[in-house]
Amino acid sequence: MSFASDTYYMFLRWMKKLVRNPILLFFSLFQPIIFLVLFTQLFSSFGLLLGGNYTLFATAGIVLQNAFSSAFQSGTAIVDDIKSGFLTKILATPASRSSILLGRLLSDAFRVFAQSLIILLLAYGLGVFPATGIFGYILILITVAFFGLAWSGISLALGLRTKSAETVFGIAGTLTFPLLFMSSALMKPDLMPKWMQTVSSYNPISFAVNAIRDLIMTGYVWSSFSQAYGVISLISVITLGATLYEFKKVVS
Amino acid sequence: MPAVQVENLVKTYGDGTQAVKGISFKVDDGEFFGFLGPNGAGKSTTIKILTTLLRKTSGSADVAGHDIEHDAQIVRKLIGVQMQDTVIDEDLTGRENLMLQGHLQQMHGEELKERVNELLKIVDLGDAADKRSAYYSGGMKKRLDLASTLVHRPKILFLDEPTTGLDPQSRAQVWSYLKGLNQEGITIFITTQYLEEVDRLCRRLAILDHGEIVAQGTPSELKSEIGADRITLGFENGNRGDGTLKDKAKQVLSSLGGITEIVDSDEGIVIYAKNGGFLVPDIVRAFDTAGIKLASIGVSSPTLDDVFLKHTGRRIRPEEIDKSRASGMFGRRRR
Repeated sequence: MSFASDTYYMFLRWMKKLVRNPILLFFSLFQPIIFLVLFTQLFSSFGLLLGGNYTLFATAGIVLQNAFSSAFQSGTAIVDDIKSGFLTKILATPASRSSILLGRLLSDAFRVFAQSLIILLLAYGLGVFPATGIFGYILILITVAFFGLAWSGISLALGLRTKSAETVFGIAGTLTFPLLFMSSALMKPDLMPKWMQTVSSYNPISFAVNAIRDLIMTGYVWSSFSQAYGVISLISVITLGATLYEFKKVVS
Repeated sequence: MPAVQVENLVKTYGDGTQAVKGISFKVDDGEFFGFLGPNGAGKSTTIKILTTLLRKTSGSADVAGHDIEHDAQIVRKLIGVQMQDTVIDEDLTGRENLMLQGHLQQMHGEELKERVNELLKIVDLGDAADKRSAYYSGGMKKRLDLASTLVHRPKILFLDEPTTGLDPQSRAQVWSYLKGLNQEGITIFITTQYLEEVDRLCRRLAILDHGEIVAQGTPSELKSEIGADRITLGFENGNRGDGTLKDKAKQVLSSLGGITEIVDSDEGIVIYAKNGGFLVPDIVRAFDTAGIKLASIGVSSPTLDDVFLKHTGRRIRPEEIDKSRASGMFGRRRR
């Protein structure tokens, strides 16, 4: 079927581009390591406040923060394809239109999957092992990849709309840290100021963090898990819907 | 069956600009067809519509016998498209670029591999096939781009200024590939600023200005329509002469019969006249009597340049276009 094969070849193209772009590859691989090591070292004494090991606490947050910032690169890649005319070149072939987007999204998901795996392995070296065991690892990785996909949508939609890599980077940079700090990613909401607790409780990142943190620290907590999937699905529908809408405008 | 058949094609952009104002033309199967016009005439818009990249506002267009909107997928399998700028994925090797295009055209396996090898040889990239295309020279990139439009053996090749920005040697090479492809039976639809090549290679051409076709026919038909030869007079001081000298010369010329038009030009003075050759002795004699020194005199039959000037009021100067494009690559309007 041409849709499947088109998607595969688009995916393959992005993977080759990633592997052959040393700077991109370096950041893709070392960003997660830097996040894990620096954050957990910097805030290690928070462990005392939280009554436990901070690395154990923060791993979930770092996995998601990494997915979040990775996802934002997707939009700049599509801007490159628009500017260079490569998108036009593909559109002049009978290639399935949706495979162009799906190929990119799958490569994003795959990258986040690999990066998260690195973080989890490194965290394992630092003594973090999920309470849910090996199966927990699998669930964590799938959840993070799904989460990354939902956020890739924002960046893709922005890229398609503004056709400016600077804008995508600007918005991404402005959003990343506020959203991260005003979530349960790096700090227990109980220890935050009241207003921040409120923001955090509505912050989509918190839902995903809580689900993964439960898998690592507690075990299977279906309530947090189903809430996280509900929130991620909702975001996916909105962001990927927006992406599709913007893509159709660019394509026709 | 014509390769391209366009009837009353109109394109109005969202902001109300009418880029194409109801054009009609036909390109025969196997033809080498030139589509000319000044910048902003609507050439690229027309090409984008014919290659299914842009929706028309009204009118109809068939490409390779299929309606461009109703049968867009079929049309895409039958055409190759090369846009203005060289478009290849520089992170991929030459071979990978071609393989990707083939895959997207639903070609697979040995058939595709062989076709890619064959094309790499045709465009002289055999040795560099497995190098990252980022390291290719400008001419090599252009050849790869051209090859990538040919992987699926298209019946019609659309090219939007394929040689702009190339050095003369690479340019000649691209034209010779195009000539070869046409001889194999591929219809070529090309926009370009290089009128000499158009004259040499295009069997027919159309000139577009302000979204309308102002002339179409074979190069010789269009040239004979001018109906006059071109006589170029050069003066001393690097052929230009000073103003008073030129004025005096024009006065002398206007007293002569048989001249259709006298034009001031960078080269000196240009005169259009029927049977220009016979006029030369008269001019020389008249200038001699008036005491005007001529540095050079040349007679030529009308060129496509004259045709273009007559129909659009403008001249094409590829060199200047090259420069402006090189500096404004990213500021270009997306049309």
